[in-house]
Amino acid sequence: MAIEIATVSGSSVLEAASPPGRHQGRGAEGGKSRMRPWLLIVLLAVALVVVTLVSIATGAVRISPRVLFAAMFGGHPLTETQRLILFHIRLPRVLAAGVVGWALSLAGLLFQGLFRNPIADPYVTGSSGGAIFGACIGIFFFSQWSVFGFGATGLLAFAGSAATMAVVYSLARSAGKTNVVTLLLAGFAISAMFTNTSYFFEILDKNGDSNRILISWLHGDIGIPAWTELAISGALLGVASLASLPLMRTLNTLALGDEYAQQLGIRIEAARVYIILSGSLLTAIAVSLGGMISFAGLIVPHVGRLLLGPDHVRLLPVTALAGAIFLILADTLARTIIAPSEVPVGILMAFIGGPFFLYLLRKMKRSYTV
Amino acid sequence: MSCLLRLSGVHFDYQGHSVLRQAAFDLEEGSCSALIGTNGVGKTTLLRIAAGVLRPASGNVILRGRPMETISLKEIARTIALVPQQLELPFEFTVQQVVEQGRTPYIGMLRGPGRSDRLAVDRALDLADVSSLRHRIFNELSGGERQRVKIALGLAQEPRLLLLDEPTQNLDIGRQVELIDLLHFLRDQGITILASMHDLHLVDKNFSTVLLLSPGQPLASGSPEQMLKPSILEHAFQCPPDRHPLLIERAELYRREAR
Repeated sequence: MAIEIATVSGSSVLEAASPPGRHQGRGAEGGKSRMRPWLLIVLLAVALVVVTLVSIATGAVRISPRVLFAAMFGGHPLTETQRLILFHIRLPRVLAAGVVGWALSLAGLLFQGLFRNPIADPYVTGSSGGAIFGACIGIFFFSQWSVFGFGATGLLAFAGSAATMAVVYSLARSAGKTNVVTLLLAGFAISAMFTNTSYFFEILDKNGDSNRILISWLHGDIGIPAWTELAISGALLGVASLASLPLMRTLNTLALGDEYAQQLGIRIEAARVYIILSGSLLTAIAVSLGGMISFAGLIVPHVGRLLLGPDHVRLLPVTALAGAIFLILADTLARTIIAPSEVPVGILMAFIGGPFFLYLLRKMKRSYTV
Repeated sequence: MSCLLRLSGVHFDYQGHSVLRQAAFDLEEGSCSALIGTNGVGKTTLLRIAAGVLRPASGNVILRGRPMETISLKEIARTIALVPQQLELPFEFTVQQVVEQGRTPYIGMLRGPGRSDRLAVDRALDLADVSSLRHRIFNELSGGERQRVKIALGLAQEPRLLLLDEPTQNLDIGRQVELIDLLHFLRDQGITILASMHDLHLVDKNFSTVLLLSPGQPLASGSPEQMLKPSILEHAFQCPPDRHPLLIERAELYRREAR
């Protein structure tokens, strides 16, 4: 008996048939009410513009949003000092913070989906540490090298991040599941190893030029990038974000577990490699602009899930926008909280993210496998 | 009837330990078969091999006349659905979102689900009688409800062959009967069914073919009358004939028939 039921466009034979035994009144409708994704995306896009303007306006020399608007629409030109502060200091920094927040949050979303675990982010998994280590090798040994216009520092940051993720992933995964303890220990060990190796490079540095870059990276300090650096990072962010788009459905399927995903037609190994490469590119973009910034990739996807649920297709734009907003706000706070001094945003994020991480650990303690 | 799936000479090792040896069987289209055997004998492994999730160390798996390894994963997924024992989700997916994953083999990476996909999901939810749960969080459901959602996920694949790994696990007797009714209904719609089962009472009345896996023995198959003989079960399950109600009951039945 061969009955065609596997139809895509037509209707299945099951359509007309009536199944046995209906349950009346059992399992009532319920569940959590979640926000409409399009509404949230529009709200976040507006918020991103507002937060960017507020952040640009905020600092030792205040440039009011009204002046900015007037300048933008040609009504009132800026003074030379204001122009200098805006285009050479504030705007590049605010945009860099946005790029870093976008990249880290998206990388966190990818890694959490890959590991099927809400505590995985570039910092916890050691991906950021690997990127820093790769970048250190680039700075100290191959500073003059470039491939297709990309400096060795950025390329090695990407390679370090990808290699670290591959190692942590292979250690933490067993029988289609992620062992949380192994994930944490492997991520911690690799982060500690690479961060301290980077300090070792710092000691070796005789003239101290590379030292400054390294120290600010290790503290997670978003400096003032050159416009060319910002443009390359922005372009790469666009590429990595677009490359992540087709992964979102795959991440939803991977959430069912490897066996399920495979029997639903997903090529597991290829999907993993693709996710690791995309996540590592995003981490490398963030690290090259802001160094080691912890927990942004942990908090933002988690909050996104609270608002929209776990569907990665919906989460991608929300996570990216919210990540940019979050880090612009954090960096604005970091440079004004003890003005005229600045706190590296990485240190500020550790203050915020550390307790949040502990909260998540406590919430999911039942899934420990020891 | 034509042969939908054929396994021949299938051998599988796990960590140096031989799990399956020379396993062979044919599944006819539209048949409803039960796979029985002791715990750890390799029933789940056999189902995974039949679903194309595991590759045997040696032997052949032929799906509708074609070697399984020559068929793409997506095509296999449009033909075979495996409903495993466990499904644990790391995030708070709703029932609808879980069942929608069954359309993965039909949806491209960049294309979202279309009308036909939404209809298939609605049908699967309805068939498995979980439409009313569609907005509930999967992780908050009872064992029985989860079981039905897993079946709905498999049905959303619109498969020709439905493989179920201990589908009556976690179900009370009322829900077991409902599940069996659903399997009968699906079989009547032309879906071939192979389910690993522990409850031999259910196997006796509801399956046309029984596949028996015994430790160190080749896979045996036959009708329930042939395969559920006390002598066979006693040997296969290492169970004294006077210690289990089913064996006592069947021994009595055979005695009566002999008289």
